Amino acid sequence: MNKFLKFLLASLAISASVNAQNHVIDQSGKTFIPSKITVRVGDTITFKNSDPFAHNAYTDEENNEFDVGMQAPSKETVITIKSADSFNVECAIHPNMLLEVIVK
Amino acid sequence: MIFKISLSALLISSFLFATQDMKKWLRPLEVPQPMDNKLTSERVELGKLLYFDARLSSSEQFSCATCHSPKRGWTDLEPVSKALGAGRGPRNSPTILNAGYQNRQFWDGRVKTLEEQALGPIEADVEMNMPLDELIAKLDKIDGYVKLFNQAYPSEGGITKITLAKAIASFERTVVSTIAPFDKYAMGDKKAISKKAVAGFDLFKGKAHCMDCHDNFNFSNGSFHNIGLNDGELQGKELGRYLTKQRAAWYGAFKTPTLRDVTKSAPYFHDGSVKTLEEATSICSSGGRYANGVKNKSTFMLDRKLSQTEIDKIVSFLKTLEGPDMKLEVPSKFPQ
Repeated sequence: MNKFLKFLLASLAISASVNAQNHVIDQSGKTFIPSKITVRVGDTITFKNSDPFAHNAYTDEENNEFDVGMQAPSKETVITIKSADSFNVECAIHPNMLLEVIVK
Repeated sequence: MIFKISLSALLISSFLFATQDMKKWLRPLEVPQPMDNKLTSERVELGKLLYFDARLSSSEQFSCATCHSPKRGWTDLEPVSKALGAGRGPRNSPTILNAGYQNRQFWDGRVKTLEEQALGPIEADVEMNMPLDELIAKLDKIDGYVKLFNQAYPSEGGITKITLAKAIASFERTVVSTIAPFDKYAMGDKKAISKKAVAGFDLFKGKAHCMDCHDNFNFSNGSFHNIGLNDGELQGKELGRYLTKQRAAWYGAFKTPTLRDVTKSAPYFHDGSVKTLEEATSICSSGGRYANGVKNKSTFMLDRKLSQTEIDKIVSFLKTLEGPDMKLEVPSKFPQ
């Protein structure tokens, strides 16, 4: 691989990571706030627990599957969007908590 | 019809007179319905016939109502259900009251909708033990059912697993709580429940932290918890929602049950191990049956240091959640 091609690929990777955004989802009052977000592949979502008890955000959507595990109060967990498939996030403890993630 | 109109009028008036902070305790006027299975009288009536028809089981001895009977608080009042043969199923029959408002069904929440739920017990070998293909073929030979399915679900292909599930779900959606003394209190009638019960309600919302899980009009927020009924690693015991997927948060966790009409549905908990409301309240407010050594015990399960007098007040309040039985004509004749 010539030097120019390596430089180009590295630049593209840096550019993608620079453009990636972080979206903060608060878990407060047994609700995801906001309850709907639009993201892009490579973006990250920070799940923040503002409630005085544990939450456990997860999705079983095949291409973006994640499980932040039992998240104690005031803890934050970051996940990365891997695929262009939109999905819903639920709390494993409080299934009335729903977050719709639109991936563009 | 008159009953439905008067009940609606009562519910509407309840929303008019309840204060803002009390409205959350009143049942919403309309039960949620999927777009492709809106309630109609034909669907509900068909579903009711199917619900009570023992021909839906392989032995023709079990109907849905065997384990979820309106005469027994929509349960069977057994610790765990009688199974086909001489055995027992693994869990307590949950009430189906207000199930149409829940977004997860069964103790372990393994499905979301009543349509998904409806066929499970029919097929389950410890319940009705009826293969669905055989059941569809059987129902197809009953002219009365063929006619009723075509009326309820025209252009949906007659009797299929889908229309069968939809019909049963439609009936189940109509099984809702009636107006209990507590509802009258929430509407503004301060004499509808005793001072002791009011004190119990205050404890329920406050010191006892019952409301952390038993919230909203159905007195359940649908959350899943391991409440420490069993100790240690639950070897040989029920693992709850963990059986649907091995997610750590689901180890030994079961759905928070409704407390509506809770006086009618003893014994309590997923294993039916507790006979009285006093004992159930005591266990829940003291950190579970086992204080220590329970893997994944809910962080809500703490010893709230309640006195026996305080537990009695909470039980007094819980009794005010009992409403009159809903008006229902149980079918005595079935389609032929």
